[in-house]
Amino acid sequence: MPENTPQASQDKFSRMPDRLSFYLERGSPFHRLNPLTKLTLVFCLIILAFFGPGYWLPSLLYLAVLIPLSLWSGVGREFMRTSIRLLLPLFGFLFVMQSLFYPGGRTVLVSLWIFAIKAEGIAFAYLTATRILVMVSSFLLLLLGTHPSALMNDFARRGVPAPLTYIIASTLQILPQMQAKAATIIDAQRSRGLETEGGLGKRVRALLPLVGPLVFGSLVDVEERAIALEARAFNSRRVKTSLVEIPDSQVERLARWTMLLLMLLALASRAWLSFKSRV
Amino acid sequence: MAIVQVEGLSYTYPLAISPALQDINLSVEQGEFVAVIGANGAGKSTLCYTLAGFIPHFFKGNLQGSARVAGLDTSQTSLAEMVVRVGLVFQNPFNQISGAKFTVYEEIAFGLENIGLGRQEMKNRVEKVMALTGIADLAHRSPYALSGGQQQRVALASILVMEPEVLVLDEPTSQLDPIGTREVFQVIKEMSRQGITIVMAEHKLEWVAEFADRVIALAEGRMLLDGKPREVLVDPALPAGHIGISRYTSLARRATQQGLWPAGRRLPVTLDEAADGFREARRAA
Amino acid sequence: MRLVESIKKDFNTMTLVLIPVAIAINIVIGQIVLVLKLPVFLDSIGTVLVGALCGPWAGALTGTLSNIIWGLAIDPNSFPWFPVALFIGFVSGWCAIAGLFKTWWKVIITGILVAFTAAIVSTPIAVYLYGGITASGVSFITAFLLQTGRDLVTAVLSANFIVEPVDKVATALLAYAIIKGLSVRYLARFPRADNVSA
Repeated sequence: MPENTPQASQDKFSRMPDRLSFYLERGSPFHRLNPLTKLTLVFCLIILAFFGPGYWLPSLLYLAVLIPLSLWSGVGREFMRTSIRLLLPLFGFLFVMQSLFYPGGRTVLVSLWIFAIKAEGIAFAYLTATRILVMVSSFLLLLLGTHPSALMNDFARRGVPAPLTYIIASTLQILPQMQAKAATIIDAQRSRGLETEGGLGKRVRALLPLVGPLVFGSLVDVEERAIALEARAFNSRRVKTSLVEIPDSQVERLARWTMLLLMLLALASRAWLSFKSRV
Repeated sequence: MAIVQVEGLSYTYPLAISPALQDINLSVEQGEFVAVIGANGAGKSTLCYTLAGFIPHFFKGNLQGSARVAGLDTSQTSLAEMVVRVGLVFQNPFNQISGAKFTVYEEIAFGLENIGLGRQEMKNRVEKVMALTGIADLAHRSPYALSGGQQQRVALASILVMEPEVLVLDEPTSQLDPIGTREVFQVIKEMSRQGITIVMAEHKLEWVAEFADRVIALAEGRMLLDGKPREVLVDPALPAGHIGISRYTSLARRATQQGLWPAGRRLPVTLDEAADGFREARRAA
Repeated sequence: MRLVESIKKDFNTMTLVLIPVAIAINIVIGQIVLVLKLPVFLDSIGTVLVGALCGPWAGALTGTLSNIIWGLAIDPNSFPWFPVALFIGFVSGWCAIAGLFKTWWKVIITGILVAFTAAIVSTPIAVYLYGGITASGVSFITAFLLQTGRDLVTAVLSANFIVEPVDKVATALLAYAIIKGLSVRYLARFPRADNVSA
């Protein structure tokens, strides 16, 4: 289908992402782990990647820890596909920027017009890229293997304030609703002749009729939704209880403490290394 | 002691010029099913919010007189404590989904978590109320993946699960189709049968006639009428208060003008009464 | 404790319900702008709205969560920039308390202040990500200058220099327009409604 027919551009709007929850139901042992354990794992991997010793550590963490974990939890294919897809643009940008502009780079590999690609830049780009890869993909793994309600319930049980868990859960649920409403408004406006293609002026003028009804419609609801929240005794002074208890185990508790230790070791090793380099 | 006792109640919203309610006196006995009718802006919603404690705590404004509901003075008791004894359900099903929970089961239990109920008791109550409202098969669905009628039943269940003594409903079926309306009314009637006091603002007069024990008509913030459905709903004062009358009443009135309604027979407010009346007229003819 | 009270004041029930809606507004408008291929972001209108109506702390929370959820749903490359989103909410909150949300002109000033803050906060992040404060002892100021130098090149390449202030001023003005379109009675529900009343 030619790119600039009305139908083609219609698809562009309806393709706005509406899957907010990455969660994939797999029933694996990883899925059954307590959410806090998985969250601790995420932070442990991130700290190790950013502060741990060794140039190849982040790559190692991704290949030898994250990918096997993803396979073990049955989400391997989605994990690898999504982590690469999400990060390819960043890597491209990083490589370009840092290979050309990395400060202190001396080893010129290629010279193009006024730009020179330096080896130190490429090396640094790779390090930064793999670090960010570990950060993003470990969160991705967490989300693929943890249902948002399990995460929220566990947070609430561990004492995260109710307003915060409410805000996070509520956002995750109403965002797809808003996106669907936006798609409807866009359709309705375009059927009334609103132009969303063409020169900059036209596109700018398209913004308000698209945004206005959506914004005001959702803001008006806020008052009633606040009333509904009060009607469920949300602001009660009584101590809140929880319906669902996510299981936890001694083994997991031990694992979490071990990971905490690893994090401290990584931070200590970084402090030690930079101390050494100054002396 | 009446379960709802309102005396000399007047209320003005903040920044408003004229009062929304003026000198309301109302007494409701436990277990009664009271319908509140009136034109838009007559004060139905305001009265509902007052009985549930949202006026004055949520809306602020100027409240005079007193309202005692389920033994609690609405001005003196905190809103969080009021809502445990007085439940509020309103029009828009979508806005009553809290958003805090991802399944219908947990959504219903949300209020119970907030008041600190034990886990087993929570489960018992949730299952009971899901059976009552006929939504047991929706337990594991997302509350946002439901129809309007289903969402309204979830909202109703979420309030009923807290076992309020008084249930206040502000036009709960306005946004529902006829089937959804009937489902909701049936649940409410069952709650009434179980002894919960119901105060319901409603436009659909045929339903009011069928289900309510008592009807109160408001006009411009004042009480216009207070009595049995079959008296209030045919009262000639209604049009003066810009309140409609049911189709059956309206039809029978026109029929009377043409001599087709039995002379002296009271005007109908429900389909059955209308059918009986016309049958009698046909036999006499 | 005055700080704790100041934080608590921002959060009433209306705030809690507004924040998710504001985050959704951020994300949806941000997406629409992407699809319309406009040269701005406009992904913080909700954040500024919360900052103005509820306060700096609520604004900061809105910005942070909005950034995190945008990262989860659309583009994880935006995660490192969460302090920028945080400060957008924080600064608009304080500007509003200082009375800078009462007229069109003052709102433009708010927009400029927010843009300025965003630029300052994003610099160390950019330096770390794209240039690196390496262990070879490059001082922060040198890195900043280098980063600015690099930014000039980037600016020439992408006209970023002009886009950021335009984006933030437009964001502030749109938030103001939204507030102006809401009834006084409705606005009075929010903790810092006096920020926006004349």
